[in-house]
Amino acid sequence: MENEKTRPIPLKDDNYTHNINRSNERSLDRRSFMKTMVGAAGLFAASTLPWGALAAKELMGSSSKTFPAQKIANLSDIKPGDAIEFNYPGEHDSALFVYVKEKEYKAYQNACTHLRCPVFWDRDEKELLCPCHHGKFDIATGKPLAGPPRRPLPEIVLQEKDGAVYAVGVKRYEEQL
Amino acid sequence: MKSSYRGVILLALILFASIVCTQYTVNMYFAQRYMEVLLLSGATVVLFPLAWMVFRKDQRDRREQGK
Repeated sequence: MENEKTRPIPLKDDNYTHNINRSNERSLDRRSFMKTMVGAAGLFAASTLPWGALAAKELMGSSSKTFPAQKIANLSDIKPGDAIEFNYPGEHDSALFVYVKEKEYKAYQNACTHLRCPVFWDRDEKELLCPCHHGKFDIATGKPLAGPPRRPLPEIVLQEKDGAVYAVGVKRYEEQL
Repeated sequence: MKSSYRGVILLALILFASIVCTQYTVNMYFAQRYMEVLLLSGATVVLFPLAWMVFRKDQRDRREQGK
């Protein structure tokens, strides 16, 4: 039988939850508070590194970046006011083609620039609408008209050839701003 | 102002600057302004050793004052 006096931890304190006796042991002192702030600064520093690496990669490869042409639709198959969803330039980059009116069509990457919700074509209002927080974009320029988004939708460059519309590139934001 | 608050306030400012730079880094990446991304992420990385130095200096000063 173990002696209460020779036990390394007194029996009454030998538990996981109620063994803190020192006053203020749980409160954050000045030193710990400052350490936490330094740690948080380190965390933010580390979290920006992947973004920096991605940006450096884009900067090095941007001059040689070309997009393949991709057929979207035959103009004879669609009517003015129609919208077609497609993926461009990658298979996970959702985009929206809108046949605004005769001889006028536009295409944008349809991830809202606020929180990347999908953007829809509002045929009656003639606007691109993000239903998540009612962000609206101008169909002519892709610029935000209302709601939380502040940046325009990236525009997809279109080309008409042999009665069909092709996506041939994506405009960079700088070209639109 | 007493020196005992200087370190805390400086660190709070550095942390605030880190948060702002991190936020702008992400925003600028999605705006495809990559040079700004590099500058801002560099600034955030530089702020960390600065915060560490402020902390060390504060602790040293307090030790010298016998606190």
